[in-house]
Amino acid sequence: MHPLNQVKGEYVRELLNKGVREEGRDPFEYRQIKITHSLLPNAEGSAQVEIGNTRVLVGIKLDVATPMPDKPNEGNLMTMAELLPLASPEYEPGPPSPDSIELARVVDRGIRASSMVDLGSLFIEEEKVWSLFVDIYVLNFDGNLFDACMLAAVAALSNTRMPKYENGEAVRTGELGRLKTNNIVTSCTFAKVGNKILLDPDGSEEAVADARITIANDEKVVRSMQKGLAGAFSQEEVEDLIGRSFDKSKELRGLILSSKSE
Amino acid sequence: MGSSTNKPELIVNGKRLDGRGFADLRPMKIIAGGLKNAAGSAYMEWGNNKVLAAVYGPKEALPKHTQDPDKAVIKCKYSMAPFSSLEEHNRSGPNRRAIEISKVTREVFEKVILREDFPGSEIDIFIEVLQSDGGTRAAGITTAAVALATSGIPMTDLPYAISVGKVGDTLILDLNKAEDNYSDADMPIAIGPRNNDILLLQMDGSLTKEQISEGLTMAKKAGESVARLQREALKAPYERILEKYKI
Amino acid sequence: MSRIVIPGEVLVEKPLRTENAMIEDNKTFSTVLGIFNDEKGILTPLEGLWYPRRGDIVLGIIEEARLNSYNVELSSPFKGIIIAKFVETRLQRGDVVEAEVKELDESKTVVLMRPRKLFGGKVFDVKPSKIPRIIGKASTMLQQIRDGTKSSVTVGMNGRIWVKGGNVELAIKAIHKISEEAHTSGLTERVKELLESPRQGV
Repeated sequence: MHPLNQVKGEYVRELLNKGVREEGRDPFEYRQIKITHSLLPNAEGSAQVEIGNTRVLVGIKLDVATPMPDKPNEGNLMTMAELLPLASPEYEPGPPSPDSIELARVVDRGIRASSMVDLGSLFIEEEKVWSLFVDIYVLNFDGNLFDACMLAAVAALSNTRMPKYENGEAVRTGELGRLKTNNIVTSCTFAKVGNKILLDPDGSEEAVADARITIANDEKVVRSMQKGLAGAFSQEEVEDLIGRSFDKSKELRGLILSSKSE
Repeated sequence: MGSSTNKPELIVNGKRLDGRGFADLRPMKIIAGGLKNAAGSAYMEWGNNKVLAAVYGPKEALPKHTQDPDKAVIKCKYSMAPFSSLEEHNRSGPNRRAIEISKVTREVFEKVILREDFPGSEIDIFIEVLQSDGGTRAAGITTAAVALATSGIPMTDLPYAISVGKVGDTLILDLNKAEDNYSDADMPIAIGPRNNDILLLQMDGSLTKEQISEGLTMAKKAGESVARLQREALKAPYERILEKYKI
Repeated sequence: MSRIVIPGEVLVEKPLRTENAMIEDNKTFSTVLGIFNDEKGILTPLEGLWYPRRGDIVLGIIEEARLNSYNVELSSPFKGIIIAKFVETRLQRGDVVEAEVKELDESKTVVLMRPRKLFGGKVFDVKPSKIPRIIGKASTMLQQIRDGTKSSVTVGMNGRIWVKGGNVELAIKAIHKISEEAHTSGLTERVKELLESPRQGV
């Protein structure tokens, strides 16, 4: 870890011992969230999400492909995350790091588990299905990539154009319909520092976090969870955080819908 | 460059398909700064291209064997997002094209950065093409120059780049993707405007000696507006505050 | 008259010895994005880096504690070093220290002296080019922030700042304001307004 982040983290700990958080933020309050839809017209769908100084971009592409052997009647969903070296002095060029793989897989599971996109509807004909690519680009890192990337992926899927299938190929020009989405899933990530739990940890808070948990849910049920780092949560804590995640997800769903109509 | 036999007409009634004249550039917008963690950054829209550039450093060059005891080493990475084109998904990771573009881009900046000021250190330049429509290397160099200036790294010049192409016997500037696919020549150029130094020159296709010199002249002339835009982008954040307080 | 200049831009059509500039063909060019004062012939960078000078006060973070010396991270291409025998108490990795530049040695290492450990507080980086303005003439600006927030504020020429106690957030807000508006006049007044505005109360 960069020495400055460590020192900043110590300050976070010092504040938390006094029961406060930087900028007077409530423990269960998000930083300012901004969602921008369809900013890359070449991509079938796109969205940028900013949570405080964290900034991520998701681009969606759809290609004609052959189905996976074990799922001949379903389209493919491929989610990848790039922690771009321009996003942080700590990100290096090179093959995907374990952090970027975890990030992509957590977002992927949220989308899959929520049936937000019906992969069966991406079947075209025998041996031909659509591959749905969700590419996550992290542009500036300041903590809580999970929620930012989940929001950006869901927002981008919600504005995705559906190419047409003609003579074995994808046609991306002319009148196009939309990719049908059935659900909205969002996630809430909490960090535990000592015995304090915080929603939406920023970079300095993550630097000193002992444990982290991401809870993804739709209106009715939890769709996926991921606990990270070396610390632990109690059952009571997890139950409490699930309740908070359901509460907060109303705000997040509202943001996705209102940003879309802008 | 396309060798396709069913090549579309790229010039109709003396105009290009998007309505531009031969020496017209596409609309451009440059924003200096924007990425909080980087030492310097810039964002550019050049036609439908959308490019982000960031600079990190100077910092200690690592691994140590890459250090030059007399001057800073420049490391440059150009890459295209997998969702950047209107066509199919590009699987990410540096391909041979991206590696070559990174190299020639690096060489442009090795010329203008005062590298002797930072012996033993490295300066990283990252160029991410978020959306592509022809001429991304030119847009990348133009954007990276602004990003470097916002980092405060001293430079002898502020380079820009532009591409020249040929359709039939007609030279055209700033090819978009459709033109690039079917043109008869493509010649990207980077220029240091202080002395009009040519800092990058690549070419493929077919051009006569006369066409090359005409192309270079066209690029330099049109490049004045690119350089002006870079300058305005760098000054804008400062002038906005002067304006705010009417100073 | 002052004007904003960019790298490669002509400052004057004659040779002029000034920092951040270069002379070629009997003309003087800027090498940075900066403000050039034609009358005084001074070029002030708007963005930029810190070049170590003897006597500079810097803030560093101990990166490695060795037997005879400490490696110090200075948010700069230059590495800092403190000779252990000049330090009374042992320092540890992660400690924040204020120190003075003794010299920049041949290997471009910044030799530091008189280190003082800073305990707790918030540490953050700003652009080193903004530091002179944050300190102000005869430290007036800095004193104004200290008085207005009751915070302890220590400023390093390498662009690193330490704030502790009092209204830390107001102090940081004031520092960011100075950093963004460093090239303007009347800044002292506006910072005073910020510090005195009632909703910012300590």
